[in-house]
Amino acid sequence: MTQVQRPPAISAPTGRGDEVEIAILAPRFEEHAFPWRQIFGYAASLILTMAALLLVVHHVLPPVGLIVAILALATIQASLQLGLFMHLRESLGSTWHVVTLALAIVVALGIVIFSIWIMSFKSGVS
Amino acid sequence: MTTRTNSLQEARLPLEFQESHETLSILGFWLFLASDVVLFSSLFAVYAVYQGRVAAGPTPLQLFSLGPVLTETILLLTSSFTCGLAIFMMRRGRTRPLVAWLVVTLLLGLGFVGMEVHEFVTDVAVWGTWHQSAFLSAFFTLVGTHGLHVSFGILWVAALVVQLLRYGLTPTTARKVYTFSLYWHFLDIIWVFIFTAVYLSGKIT
Repeated sequence: MTQVQRPPAISAPTGRGDEVEIAILAPRFEEHAFPWRQIFGYAASLILTMAALLLVVHHVLPPVGLIVAILALATIQASLQLGLFMHLRESLGSTWHVVTLALAIVVALGIVIFSIWIMSFKSGVS
Repeated sequence: MTTRTNSLQEARLPLEFQESHETLSILGFWLFLASDVVLFSSLFAVYAVYQGRVAAGPTPLQLFSLGPVLTETILLLTSSFTCGLAIFMMRRGRTRPLVAWLVVTLLLGLGFVGMEVHEFVTDVAVWGTWHQSAFLSAFFTLVGTHGLHVSFGILWVAALVVQLLRYGLTPTTARKVYTFSLYWHFLDIIWVFIFTAVYLSGKIT
């Protein structure tokens, strides 16, 4: 099992779109002889799904605690699948799509959270 | 000398990253997925706001049965896994196993859509259409939009299988399979949140 980092040197781009402007956005390609990453992602996702289901079916926590817990489990599962299934860090040059995706997630959280917040006023505001 | 370094570096990159315009298509597809994140977030926001507005229609507790939903979840998760195996085979240059895993992915996706259609038809027969309440409107819109995405993915992967059999693995077909895999994994991630924020949270009283 080997982990290969490409392009090899940040300072030596070929000038064909593989420049890396910011070190943390350097691309990384994972190559293994056996699909360990996929199998681990699948097993972990199954376990997290069943854990969330069991928490709810057995009412392990009070309602608010349950919602926070299952949303946390979903977020962990989503992150695992982004990294293990979606090859998030593969790119030619800087991984600018990660920046875009992060921005989209911030916008998405804003839409959901502030919609719930503003609609929770109901008749209190007129 | 420079040219030689280039070709050496290119030879080590996966097929779909070897031509810069194919790589641009991959970046463009990521941008589309980012916009889809925002689209789904607005539907999640509508659902979160309206899930309690059931009028004369069913409540989430009455409407959802977790058994079939768990089966749907496992079908879609497994198809996401087999799609990952397809990319693994593509990286090893093995076209036949790649096509085989894509076909398995397609069949699992069909199973998912079939179960969802059955669920929707049963819901409408028992509880009425989305005109019944704001909750049902929001539910059918959110879950239906996801289901339409999956249905489109099934057509897409069917077309890809035909192209792979006709043209083999080229930088272009490899890029198409790669963007399809991004789309398919993305839909499973959206489903994780539908399973959690819609179905599971509907059972929390």
